Amino acid sequence: MTRRSLGSTMRAATILLALAWASAPAAGQMARARTIAGCPPTAAAFHPCALEKAKAFNPPRTPDGHPDLQGLWEAPMASGLGNIEGRRAADDEYQTGSPTSLVVDPPAGVIPYQPWARTQRRENAAKYVDPYTHCLPISAPRIMASPRTRQIAMYSGHLTVVNESGGHPFRVIYLDGRPHLSADLKLWRGDARGHWEDKTLVVDTTNFNGLSWFGSGGDFFSDALHLTERLTMVDANTIDYAVTVDDPKVATRPWTIAFALERNQEKGYEQMEEGCFESDRDTADLLLTGFQMYAGPRFPK
Amino acid sequence: MFARTRVWSWRIVVLFVSALAIGSFESAGFGGQPAVAQSLSAALRRTSDGKPDLSGIWQAMNAAEWDLQDHAAAKGIPAGRGIVEGNQIPYRPEALLKKKENFKNRETADPVTKCFLPGVPRIMYQPYPFQIAQGPKQITILFEYVHAVRNIFMEGSHYPGQIDWWLGDSRGRWDGDTLVVDVVHFNDVTWFDRAGDFHSDALHVVERYTPTDLDHIQYEATIEDPNVFTGPWKVSMPLYRHKEKDAQLLEYECFAY
Repeated sequence: MTRRSLGSTMRAATILLALAWASAPAAGQMARARTIAGCPPTAAAFHPCALEKAKAFNPPRTPDGHPDLQGLWEAPMASGLGNIEGRRAADDEYQTGSPTSLVVDPPAGVIPYQPWARTQRRENAAKYVDPYTHCLPISAPRIMASPRTRQIAMYSGHLTVVNESGGHPFRVIYLDGRPHLSADLKLWRGDARGHWEDKTLVVDTTNFNGLSWFGSGGDFFSDALHLTERLTMVDANTIDYAVTVDDPKVATRPWTIAFALERNQEKGYEQMEEGCFESDRDTADLLLTGFQMYAGPRFPK
Repeated sequence: MFARTRVWSWRIVVLFVSALAIGSFESAGFGGQPAVAQSLSAALRRTSDGKPDLSGIWQAMNAAEWDLQDHAAAKGIPAGRGIVEGNQIPYRPEALLKKKENFKNRETADPVTKCFLPGVPRIMYQPYPFQIAQGPKQITILFEYVHAVRNIFMEGSHYPGQIDWWLGDSRGRWDGDTLVVDVVHFNDVTWFDRAGDFHSDALHVVERYTPTDLDHIQYEATIEDPNVFTGPWKVSMPLYRHKEKDAQLLEYECFAY
């Protein structure tokens, strides 16, 4: 079997697994049976617990003295952000995602969409093709949450995040104090700048074109999106990842999701090539069933 | 006659003195490198493990994307001097026919016109910047073109068996100040250029990245494919560092437009 077809098989297997998981009545209990860094694996419980543990943890450092976040990381709680607010009884059975909400603020666990945007999110899932399905680039927070690994590597003045699945989208995060690009320059993956606040890496990302989704459930954003991510080591093999989403064109107030990044400890693991557009461009059939191509937020007139 | 002999003897003296000068130059670097090379070598930026630091944003500046060989201009294509050493690609006779067929159909048949990954070495001379991110065990190259990524692993060996990857399986090692990358496990889909130069899945590429000063890397790739060529051949070109203030990769997502 060639690696290319193996990639497709793995993608199909992931979907099947997600389906099986979604339809298993005991899924919630199974998820709760495991802990991550000694914390419960639901966002509302994990995030405060992990930050408390992080206070006492002295992380390994790079030569320039910053916490060493390097390595291959998985996101077992995030389920690819398939449904950020958690699966509900009313959801279509094919939807994947975390069984419980990843939203830690507002505390109710619900995204504070403007009313029209709440409707549009539902329409997106029902009538539109997830741009990621035809291999358009994903960015934060989805590239921090998708299946398999993402590799963080740190260099002088910048760090990189290279995602394994979905045609290996990557981010370069500059830490050298340079300003953001001009607001006129919109990008699929945005423009990321980072800085350290004590032991936490804070990443500020702007300049999005607003044409992709947070996840396959249709959660979306506009070109006004401003992300603030916070990465804090909890122990040697766990990062607490939290991102605050500020998008005044779509939501009534900023909101925050959180999940764990867990180190892949498989010896000799290497990210392998995964062509995406070259082999998996199978949107024609979806369009025949009446699905439409997503062209960005449909703002009320 | 006499005058002519004097001229000759002057020439001999000059040659002799030059030879002495070169000799002393070399002996100054005895046990190390010649002085000129030493100052060049000292001028390279190095990583903490003493290897040349290739980090940065780089780009080729030539017309090889359209044609690896010397070519005249055409609509949308600048004239260009080739990057193939000797300007000849040693095709097998039947493969040369295929290349000519490819050339005829190039506007639609070149996989890059469909925005597919372009293969190696083509991705190194496409007209887009790329960023080298260098660690001791892994050197990653990030490309603006369709956010492609090449991971060059400095440890481990090629995977066994038959694998068809667009950008191959890259394994690196240092040969002095030259990064040598051995690449196998290609598919038989990609082309070397818009002119239809092609290969089979038996393609084997050995790349050499030699920094010549702070802002230039001399890049060479030796190409072997017994199914298509009668022997190995080589491309070589400089890579130039992007010197703009706050240079950073942007994007060319190709199939998104």
